[in-house]
Amino acid sequence: MNPWTEKTESVDEWLELLRSKPELMENVTHWHTQPARPARTAQLPEGVHPKLAHALQQKGITDLYTHQAASYKAVAAGHHVVTVTPTASGKTLCYNLPVIQKLLEDESARALYLFPTKALAQDQVAELQELANLMEVDIKTHTYDGDTPPTVRQAIRNAGHIVVTNPDMLHSAILPHHTKWVKLFENIKFIIIDELHAYRGVFGSHVANVIRRLKRICRFYGSEPQFLCASATIRNPQEHAERLIGENVALVDDNGAPTGERHMVFYNPPVVNKQLGIRRSSVLESQKLATMLLKSGIQTIVFARSRVRVEILLTYLQDSIKKELGTKSIRGYRGGYLPKLRREIERGLRNGEIRGVVSTNALELGIDIGQLQACVLNGYPGTIASTWQQSGRAGRRLGSSVTFLVASSNPLDQYLIQNPDYFLGRPPEEARIHPDNLLILLDHLKCAAYELPFEAHDTFGGEKLTDLLEFLAEEKVLHRVGNRWYWMEQAFPAHNISLRSAAQENFVIIDQTEGHRVIGEVDRFSAPTLIHEEAIYLHEGVQYQVEKLDYPEKKAYVRKVNVDYFTDASMAVELKVLHVDLESTSGPLERQYGEVTVMAKPTIFKKIRLRTHENVGSGPIHLPEEILHTSGYWFSFSGDESGKRSANDMQMALLGLANVLIHLAPLHLMCDPLDIRVVPQVKALHTKRPTIYFYDRYPGGIGLSQRLYEKHDELLAEAQRLIVGCGCLSGCPACVGPIEEVGLLGKDLALSLLQVTRESS
Amino acid sequence: MSGLRERLSRLRATESVEQVTSDAPQQSVGDEPVLSPDFLHIGVELQHNESGQFLLRRIEYPLPYQYGKYDLKNLLSCASYLQPITLRQNQQTQSPEDKIDPYRLLFLDTETTGLGVGTGNVPFMIGFGYYTEQAFVVEQTLIRHPGEEKAMLTYLLGHMQDKTHLVTYNGRTFDWPVLVNRFILNGWRRSSQEPRHLDFLHPSRALWRNTLPSCRLSVVEEARLGIQRGEDVPGSLAPALYFQYLSDGNASHLHGVYSHNEKDILTLASLSVHFGLLLSEMMSREAIEAQEGEELFRTACWLEQHGNTEYAEQLFSVLSDMEDSSEGEGWSLALAARYKRSGQHERALPIWRRSAVKAEKSSTPKIAAHVELAIYYEHRDKQLLTALNYAEKALELVFRRARLMSDLAKRKEEKEAIQHRVARLRHKVSREKE
Repeated sequence: MNPWTEKTESVDEWLELLRSKPELMENVTHWHTQPARPARTAQLPEGVHPKLAHALQQKGITDLYTHQAASYKAVAAGHHVVTVTPTASGKTLCYNLPVIQKLLEDESARALYLFPTKALAQDQVAELQELANLMEVDIKTHTYDGDTPPTVRQAIRNAGHIVVTNPDMLHSAILPHHTKWVKLFENIKFIIIDELHAYRGVFGSHVANVIRRLKRICRFYGSEPQFLCASATIRNPQEHAERLIGENVALVDDNGAPTGERHMVFYNPPVVNKQLGIRRSSVLESQKLATMLLKSGIQTIVFARSRVRVEILLTYLQDSIKKELGTKSIRGYRGGYLPKLRREIERGLRNGEIRGVVSTNALELGIDIGQLQACVLNGYPGTIASTWQQSGRAGRRLGSSVTFLVASSNPLDQYLIQNPDYFLGRPPEEARIHPDNLLILLDHLKCAAYELPFEAHDTFGGEKLTDLLEFLAEEKVLHRVGNRWYWMEQAFPAHNISLRSAAQENFVIIDQTEGHRVIGEVDRFSAPTLIHEEAIYLHEGVQYQVEKLDYPEKKAYVRKVNVDYFTDASMAVELKVLHVDLESTSGPLERQYGEVTVMAKPTIFKKIRLRTHENVGSGPIHLPEEILHTSGYWFSFSGDESGKRSANDMQMALLGLANVLIHLAPLHLMCDPLDIRVVPQVKALHTKRPTIYFYDRYPGGIGLSQRLYEKHDELLAEAQRLIVGCGCLSGCPACVGPIEEVGLLGKDLALSLLQVTRESS
Repeated sequence: MSGLRERLSRLRATESVEQVTSDAPQQSVGDEPVLSPDFLHIGVELQHNESGQFLLRRIEYPLPYQYGKYDLKNLLSCASYLQPITLRQNQQTQSPEDKIDPYRLLFLDTETTGLGVGTGNVPFMIGFGYYTEQAFVVEQTLIRHPGEEKAMLTYLLGHMQDKTHLVTYNGRTFDWPVLVNRFILNGWRRSSQEPRHLDFLHPSRALWRNTLPSCRLSVVEEARLGIQRGEDVPGSLAPALYFQYLSDGNASHLHGVYSHNEKDILTLASLSVHFGLLLSEMMSREAIEAQEGEELFRTACWLEQHGNTEYAEQLFSVLSDMEDSSEGEGWSLALAARYKRSGQHERALPIWRRSAVKAEKSSTPKIAAHVELAIYYEHRDKQLLTALNYAEKALELVFRRARLMSDLAKRKEEKEAIQHRVARLRHKVSREKE
């Protein structure tokens, strides 16, 4: 180490420095080291085209990693394949190799590549182009997305060998106009689906239906392509791939790529108030660690859970290292930045000009930013799979890397930081999709009917097709003639269906400090809480205040401000049960699962001072109510139980229990914590009893509540373990919630209520 | 009711406000060999071919036939002059096969179930017209349900076989691509050359975009072809009427659609006559010169683009003696710019001068003419003082107009450009004096 600049030569040296600082080390609850692993290789398979072999050689590739060779073999055997590999293990070759081989053998062959985002598609084209150039063959690879100029679209449709696009484009532009793509669909040999793990939850359920449509169109043109998928580590890659594409799939997961030594450091911010169980802010601790790393010259990525967190951390970090590095060398990155800015940041990270980046999970996906050396996770990312993915951003093939998991004070983080084995010993979560969600299915059935008429013996998803078609015929969307159903409506159905969330359109954010300039966008779900009037919206570390929110026009007008607070909005939620599908009673506890309607309305926002995070004011939000028809699961306590407690005690007990459950539920479901919501009610409208509701935050539900209904016992046992194991006296943010919220007896009340449920099961 | 049906109906209850209440008898339309009187009444017959059956209505208009201003028979003598239009639209080099033979034109117009050219948009009625020795014939095919589509398309392809061009209004980007979708969906692949297009939407826009409120076919025919349709079902209602027919089988819903489509095809022929006469220079001189300046200017430009340069030149000189009564950036400045480009400054000058006088009298003056004059006198005629005069006048006009302009940036830009010009001219003038 250079004692004057504190610059270190390597991550190893920096870690020594860290170990010598007891004031930091006492916060480290666990230090996990993964030893370096050498490469395992296999020979280039027989029969690889000499041109291809030569091109690979020029790129310095003479052998394949074992997983690359295995997937080549599986593809050659005619299987659909899913390859599971961590970041930077040469996964693109797993599918590019067989595709290019095929194109060299058969000039008329075609392949379709699907990536979840446009940025990933562009990286891919560059890579394929490079290979084609090295081989000196004319393989035409093109992206086809919203940015593709109309003038070249026709050429791509007719002559592109490899078309690289995203599911949204496939859904709204390619499939409904498949007659313009005859060349592609008649000759399609491969469909590549990379970042398979990204297609989970609602988005995955939509994409599974888009793939059903894609397969229908391929069948119509007489082709039967092979699916080659690649996924980051999840528990059920094979099952997930099979559900997504509806075919049997061969699994390749024997990763032969080398890695350097990797350190995973669990870091819990120190307690500053023992009674209240308050710890130092994880934001401030993350900032401290990241600053240390950056000042030592270590290229670092910081992940934060929300956009607001990203911007706050960015502001703090730019401030603390501006002397050493200048603010341009540390950047933010998140959805809502415009594409041009994102490309610039990615480039800067690859060539090393940008030394640090603060990101949401937007950078979790395989966007090429090179490999960094250190990663700081501000708060547990929500799933084990995500944690490994984000952590994988740091780690080169040679040399060590380090990831810090900085726990926030929410119960899930605290549970994990104190039980690292739970995290390290557990396989990553399952990716779940529910393609037969009735609303999603119906939407895509309409699109599919628009593309090609249905016949009675067709299949599409797991529900009974003729019932669905009859339903749509009664709705006058389809027209039945004999055993065929035809699209018979003026509308273009794909236009009204967005794959990404229930949100149809984004809100754009217009800065009117000088003239009018669009600086970003926010999806519809986030709009009520992020860009209500008077909200402080942070963009690239700059504060803007929302002056006007034009809700119908989906525009927010903002102006630059300089204030010392940020804003945080609350929602009021009402719930109505429409239909009970499943129920069971045990002792004082009644459990039900069914359909619910949720009405949510933002109410007030709080102004929270930067750094101290104290509440310095509030104001009302006037926005319309959002109505959601979804599936829910709830359990309620008998009259006996509620009789034993005062209404207030019951309220606190329910609230405390709900606080714990909402953090544990996503862990069991492997879903984004925002996908499932919880509402405690002392006297619920439906049951007239004290009740805790869970609901899927997506129209029609995506199967999350149903799984919670099944996992009820396990979930409550986990909740009990967490509360009992928490070191606080009477409740803290890490278990039932702070005492300001659940009262002095909150912890005991919640535990005694839990006791009732545990005894009954 | 199955569990699924139950869930579906609950969905409906909460999802859509509009309840579907109609209990109309389903499947009332089908493949019955007997047609309802409502069809027979308007001359519709059942047709069969190897692909199935569909409905056909055929009407002959014996020639000569006066439709609006023109006799449809006129096309027989001037059709060959339409060739420059199709050369531009089909981006082909001239070849003897491109010669336009009126008997090998197919006038085409479809009525579809939706907008756009997606695969779910079905042309339920295809109307087409063609010339025979004695008549102009309109045929209209209709499908009673999508199952009859293949038979209808087969019939259409039969009629296309000996035709060289499709005459349409926006058919290049709408009707034809929609039909291509249907061919592919019915399992046919492109084997021979695409038909050539003679699409009158673009020529119509070139002539009338500034003088007609819109270039919809119904607007064009009434304003320029002298056609009075009387009662007409707008094309936009056609899908809804067809859906109504599908649900209750009552053919009388379609009467209006039949007549609308029929008239569209007649108008296509009439429009062809209009452009044919124009390009063949057989249109009466008086009729052309009676047009107002804007339209005459557009016509001349269009003729020039299509190779009638001499004729165009004559029209331009008619224009250069005309007063431009239009507001704002009218045709006269465009005409002057044209003369300037071709180096005929002496023809541009009077137009600029007239325009400048007009501007000075206007309460919302434009300064373009002054700027042009300033440029002319500074760089061509080298009369710096005159140039300065015009520039200063322009600046005065800018200030006079300033309060009326809302676009701050543009106002500033314009003002600065003029101030710059004035300053330079003053400098030059003072240097010259020394």
